Amino acid sequence: MGSSAALRELQRELENKANDLSKLQKDIAKNHQVRKKYTIQLGENELVLKELGLLNEGANVYKLIGPVLVNQDLAEANANVRKRIDYISAELKRLDATLQDLEEKQNSKKEAILKVQQRIQSLQAAKAKA
Amino acid sequence: MEEPTAKGTLTSLSSMFPVEDAQKAVKRVQDTLAEKQQELERVKEFIADNATLINHVPFGKAAFFPGRLIHTNEFLVLLGEGYYADRTSKQTVEILKRRGKVLDSQVDSLKAMMKDLQAETSFFYTTASEAAEGLLEIREEYVEENSSAKKSESDSVKEDSPSLSEAGNLKAEDEDEEYARIMSRLDELEKEELAAEIENRSGENTQNNASESDNKDDDEQAKSVFDQFSDQISLHHNLRHPEGFESSNTQRTKKKVTFEELANNYNRQQDLGDQSCTGLAVQAVFQDEKSQGKSLANNAKADAAEKALRLPEVKEDAEAASSSRKEIPAQTSKPGFDSDKAFTGSIIEHPHNIQPNPQGQSGSSSKPFISQPSKPVSRFKMQRK
Repeated sequence: MGSSAALRELQRELENKANDLSKLQKDIAKNHQVRKKYTIQLGENELVLKELGLLNEGANVYKLIGPVLVNQDLAEANANVRKRIDYISAELKRLDATLQDLEEKQNSKKEAILKVQQRIQSLQAAKAKA
Repeated sequence: MEEPTAKGTLTSLSSMFPVEDAQKAVKRVQDTLAEKQQELERVKEFIADNATLINHVPFGKAAFFPGRLIHTNEFLVLLGEGYYADRTSKQTVEILKRRGKVLDSQVDSLKAMMKDLQAETSFFYTTASEAAEGLLEIREEYVEENSSAKKSESDSVKEDSPSLSEAGNLKAEDEDEEYARIMSRLDELEKEELAAEIENRSGENTQNNASESDNKDDDEQAKSVFDQFSDQISLHHNLRHPEGFESSNTQRTKKKVTFEELANNYNRQQDLGDQSCTGLAVQAVFQDEKSQGKSLANNAKADAAEKALRLPEVKEDAEAASSSRKEIPAQTSKPGFDSDKAFTGSIIEHPHNIQPNPQGQSGSSSKPFISQPSKPVSRFKMQRK
């Protein structure tokens, strides 16, 4: 009976770990998506910055805020875009770090799961012999 | 009234510009005018078309109302990220072109990436298929063989390859490898020779000095002899480069020969080395006295930059030296005492260096290589042909 209880315990553990792993994987996937979005935004912002640089002084620049187009100063728009680019690059760095962290966690979880599976297998084998 | 008539003539305008012609011209101008008018109309139509490009403006999702564009050269361009700018049509076109370029570059980079990945997949596919077929990779450790063993070994191959016409590709490859090995070995040996030669020269110096001390009377002559000899050495040194490969071959052939033969060989070689050296030295000695022609030939040889050309010449030289050898002793006795001594000194040196050779070929073999080429080359050549 003791061995079967231990087996059950292990199986529960395995289940928990599997759940954790799937959660981690979901997180990673989400992170990837966010990262992709940010990279696209970064590219777009860089394009905007380039175009704003090519505009001559006194050109009318508008910013779409919600449903309204708001007239903006060229210099202001430039500064805003620059800020946005900085923000996005910082965010990308942060996301990279978290992604790495998550992947490490995932790997460790996978290893733990493998160990638990092995233990279960060995227990089952012992049981079969007995 | 005659005078004014004398001053000018009266011609009717109609005679100069006929009425019909003038009328034709008027008509032509009118025609072109009409043409231009038509063109103008067409352009105006274009403009109107452009202005009324949108003649139904959407009003909500379901309705339209009639309308037309008035400011057709005013664009509000979306730059991205919610930023818009007022632009003219030309500027807009430029913006769009730039955007297209950026997108094109992105497409290119993506294509390159795809190509890389495809290459990778194909590589893995081939490796997988090869693994499935059970291909084996063979790797052999490269062991640096003992130089003598290598030479004797390679000797057989080398000996066979010229005689056996059916020597396969394998052998050719073998030879190539061997050639590389030999060349590397030769480079080593050459370095050793250079080092040893410097020593030898210093040795010669001392010897010559000794002879000079013996015969203080004719210092100058001795020096001249020494100079000639050093010249000769340099000549030998030059010779070694082209002959390197062949000389190594001859060494190998030597290895094959039994020991007594070896001894004989070396004796002979010594002789020959002596011959060549004596010949040259004697010539050097004689230069001042007798054989001007020979010395000239010698000089020509030394000057000749073509080493390949020099090879046969030296052989001839050696032969000539051997032929003239019998005369030499008699002749050498004639010239000055000091020159004789210096010359003998040079002879002594060669045997000294040759003798250690059979024991250790890889050992610092400096002079043997210098003295050998004159003979071994010829031998090798004979074998080859």
